[in-house]
Amino acid sequence: MNKLINPFKYIAGWESFFIGLGILFATAFVGYLSGVHFPDLISVKTSSGLPFIVILAQSISNWLVLSALLYFAGIVLSPSSIRFIDVFGTQAMARFPYLLVASTGFSPALEKFGKHIMWSALSIGEPTDLSSVELTTAIILIIFTLLSTIWLITLAFNAFKVSTNLKEAKLIISFIVIFIVSTIITGFISNNILKAFNVTFS
Amino acid sequence: MNKKLPIQCPSCHAGLSVHSLQCDACQTSIIGSFSLPLFLSLDDKDQEFIIEFVLSSGSLKVMAQKLNLSYPTVRNMLDELIEKISNFQNNINE
Repeated sequence: MNKLINPFKYIAGWESFFIGLGILFATAFVGYLSGVHFPDLISVKTSSGLPFIVILAQSISNWLVLSALLYFAGIVLSPSSIRFIDVFGTQAMARFPYLLVASTGFSPALEKFGKHIMWSALSIGEPTDLSSVELTTAIILIIFTLLSTIWLITLAFNAFKVSTNLKEAKLIISFIVIFIVSTIITGFISNNILKAFNVTFS
Repeated sequence: MNKKLPIQCPSCHAGLSVHSLQCDACQTSIIGSFSLPLFLSLDDKDQEFIIEFVLSSGSLKVMAQKLNLSYPTVRNMLDELIEKISNFQNNINE
């Protein structure tokens, strides 16, 4: 259990960096195949047809922005001499739960559920019928995504804790503030990536 | 049996000092009041860490490999030990 929520006790540095890069590339590739992308730090959206490079750029920006801010906080707040590679490597590894989430797009239930909600609640799009099996599948996938998001945040927190040796209030407050700021910044960057590649959603 | 050296008074939790020493060869006893060296004031786990650290030539990378832990985990353990020793020294100086 401990290895699932804090593998960084055992793996950090260059090892975590290369594993993490593999996870980021795999996430983007699976997302490209399944039609899932990550427009900010924790958001998950379904939209088929996005170029691989866009999903990869979003994934890398999500990782780089959070890691850079956490590294800066570590330098300023930690009494320990922290290493760049530990912060960036462990944060890349912490993105692992979204590799699993990227595969949820292989089921058409989520996208259909989204269209169904948009039509029934906001009268946007076209009416979409949803069978009970599709509804159940969509709810299971949504719960799975929520649990994966909690897992990702827990991993990112533990990665920050191990790599910077911050404790108590300094650790908790700086992580919460940086996570919120990173979510806003990555959302902004992601929009610009989509604009740069002329991607529009109908 | 490997007996553990008590470093804290079980009654009031104050630090203990050495009252007497004895030569096992000739049974000569020395009685007085001697403070414990700082190293012996640390718990077993910290003493083992220091010994391992010295045996690893002070390399945290080697320590991490030996203990099967990541580099920052071992560095954090060392930082905690440094903090503990600093607190001990401050208490002695006060």
